[in-house]
Amino acid sequence: MIEVNNLTKVFRKPIRGNGLSGMVKTLFSRKYEEVRAVDGISFTIPDGEIVGYIGANGAGKSTTIKMMCGILTPTSGSIRIDGVEPYRKRRQVAQHIGVVFGQKTQLWWDIPLIESFKVLKEIYQISDADYEERMAFLGEVLDITRFLSQPVRTLSLGERMRADLAASMIHNPRILFLDEPTIGMDVLVKEKIRLAIHELNKVYGTTVVLTTHDMTDIEDLCSRIILLEKGSILYDGPLVNLKNRFGNIKTLTLTVPTDVHAETAPVLLPEVAISEEDGRLVLRFDADKVALEQVVQYAFRDLKAIDMKIAEISIGDVVKTILEQQEAEHAEKV
Amino acid sequence: MLKKYKPFLRAGAIDTMAYRFNILMWAGITVCEVACMIFLWLAVYRSSTGGMDAEIHGFTFREMIAYVVLTTVFGFVTFNNDTLWNINTDIKKGTVGNYLIKPISYRGKFAATSLGNLLTMTLMFGVPMYTAALVTLGCMGFLPGLTFPAFFAHLGLFLIAGLCASLLNDTIAYIFGVLCFYTSAGWGLNSLKTTIISFLSGTLLPLAFFPAGLREIVKWMPFAGMSQNPVLILMMKYDLAESLRCIALSATWIVVLELFAKILFSHAVRKVTVHGG
Repeated sequence: MIEVNNLTKVFRKPIRGNGLSGMVKTLFSRKYEEVRAVDGISFTIPDGEIVGYIGANGAGKSTTIKMMCGILTPTSGSIRIDGVEPYRKRRQVAQHIGVVFGQKTQLWWDIPLIESFKVLKEIYQISDADYEERMAFLGEVLDITRFLSQPVRTLSLGERMRADLAASMIHNPRILFLDEPTIGMDVLVKEKIRLAIHELNKVYGTTVVLTTHDMTDIEDLCSRIILLEKGSILYDGPLVNLKNRFGNIKTLTLTVPTDVHAETAPVLLPEVAISEEDGRLVLRFDADKVALEQVVQYAFRDLKAIDMKIAEISIGDVVKTILEQQEAEHAEKV
Repeated sequence: MLKKYKPFLRAGAIDTMAYRFNILMWAGITVCEVACMIFLWLAVYRSSTGGMDAEIHGFTFREMIAYVVLTTVFGFVTFNNDTLWNINTDIKKGTVGNYLIKPISYRGKFAATSLGNLLTMTLMFGVPMYTAALVTLGCMGFLPGLTFPAFFAHLGLFLIAGLCASLLNDTIAYIFGVLCFYTSAGWGLNSLKTTIISFLSGTLLPLAFFPAGLREIVKWMPFAGMSQNPVLILMMKYDLAESLRCIALSATWIVVLELFAKILFSHAVRKVTVHGG
C-alpha cells in the first residue's frame, strides 16, 4: 500500500544572469528561484491496483515517482510504502519495489543482457528456483529470450525497454513504478508491454503506478487515474468518471453526398452540434440526453449519410479539455 | 548480506583485467618518474656534507633509492582507484538514481569494486613487480635491513598494511566523491585529493624530512599509513611492534572515515536533484 500525505517538493534554482557580466554577477550574489514541482498532494493506493499517473510535461509526475522510490527526499509531507518511508529506509523499500525510467536504462551497457540479470539476482538475493521461474515468465510475456546473449548497447529501443521492464520485475516487487514505459515504442511493442503489465498484475497482484502520455496505455490498463497539473491533483478517481465528466459524449462521423453541408443541413435538436471536417459531417452530442437511435435515423434520413462511424469521446480528449480549461483559467488570473 | 556485493567485486577485478594495456602504459610512465627521482636523490646526497655515504634523516642513499622504488610500486598497485571519478559521472549523468533504487549501499558498491581492483592489480602486477624489485634491490645491497626468516612476518604485515592503505585510499576517494554532490567540481576535487595524499603519505618525500612540528601531526593522520608505513614495514625499517602500531592506527582511521562518509552521504543524498524524464 502506498500512502502519500501532503507531499511537497521544492527545488531551489539559482537565477543566472545572461552573458559574461551576468555570469560574473552570479559569482558574487546568488539569487534563488523556488520551483514547487509537487505542491501538497495526498493519495492512497491499495495493493493490486493499477494507477495511471498523468499530466502535462513538467506537472510533477516524475518528481513524485522519484520521491516514492527513494531517489529524492520530499521538502515536506510524507510517503509510506507498506508503512515505511523510502527516503529514510531506502534499502529496505528498494528490496520490494521495481522502477523503470523510460528515458534511462538501468542495465549495464557493455555486458550481455543475461549478465545484467545475474547481477540483479545477486543484488536482490533471489533464490535459484525463484529466478528460474521469473525468467521463464518474463521471457515469455516480454519476449526477451531471443536477445539475452547480446550486449545491451546493441539492442533496439523496443528490445531495451522490454529488457528494462524485465529487470525491474525480476525480484518480484510488490510495487512497480513505471515512468513512461512506452515512450518512443512502436504499436507492437506497446501492446507487448501493456500485456506484460496486465499479466504481472493478474498473476502476482503487483501494484503498478504508471506515468504516460499515451492515453491508450491508460485505457487498456488503469482502473484509476490521478491527473496532475502544476504540482497539484486535478482529478483522482475511476477512469469512467473522468470520461463522463463532460457527459456521455459520442461523435458520429458521416460520409455524405457532396451537396450536403453543415451550414445548410436541417437541424434536429440544438443539443446536437454539427461541424464539417474534410468534407465529412461530424455530429457531437450527449448520449444521456439525446437518444442515439434518433440521431442515427436523422443522419440517414435528413443528411443522406452513406457511411458512418460512431465513437465515444476519448480519454485523451477529456484530459486535453481539462488541461486547456486550466490553462485558460490560469491565463485569466495573470 | 555481503554476498550482494559479489558482482561488484567481480566487475572490479574484470575491469582491471580489461584495461591491462592502459595500465602497462601507465607503468612505462611510472618507470620514467622513478628514474627522475633517482637522479634527484643522487644530486641531493652528492652535495650533502657526508657525500654519498651520508645518512640523511635515517636514510642512506641506497635505502632512499629502495624507498623510492618500493613506494612507486606500492602506489601503482594499491591506488588504481576510480571511485571519485565514477561518483562524479554518476552525479553528472544522473545514473546515481539507478543505485539508489537498489537494495545495496552506495559505499558498499564502491568498496567491493575497489577490492576487486586491488585483487587483480596485486596478482597481475603486484606479485611480479614486488618480486623483481625486492630481488634486484636486495642483490645490489640496497636493502640492508632485511634479515631472514623475520622478513616473512614483515611480508605478512605488509600485505595487511597494504589492504588497509587501499581501503583508506578508497574511503578518502569516496568522501571526495560525495562532495561532488555539492559542488560537481570532480576534476578539482580529484587534484586536491591526489596532492594531499602524495604529499602527506610520504610518497614524495619520507615524513622524516618534514619539520619536527609537522611530522608530529602527520604521524597521527591517516596518510602515512597509505604509503610510507607499509613500505617501511616491508623494508624492515620498522620492528614488529612499530609495524603493528601502524596497522592499528590505519584500522582506526578506516573506522572513523567510514563513519564520517556515512554521515556525509546521508546528508548529501538529500541534495540529489535528478531533473526531467
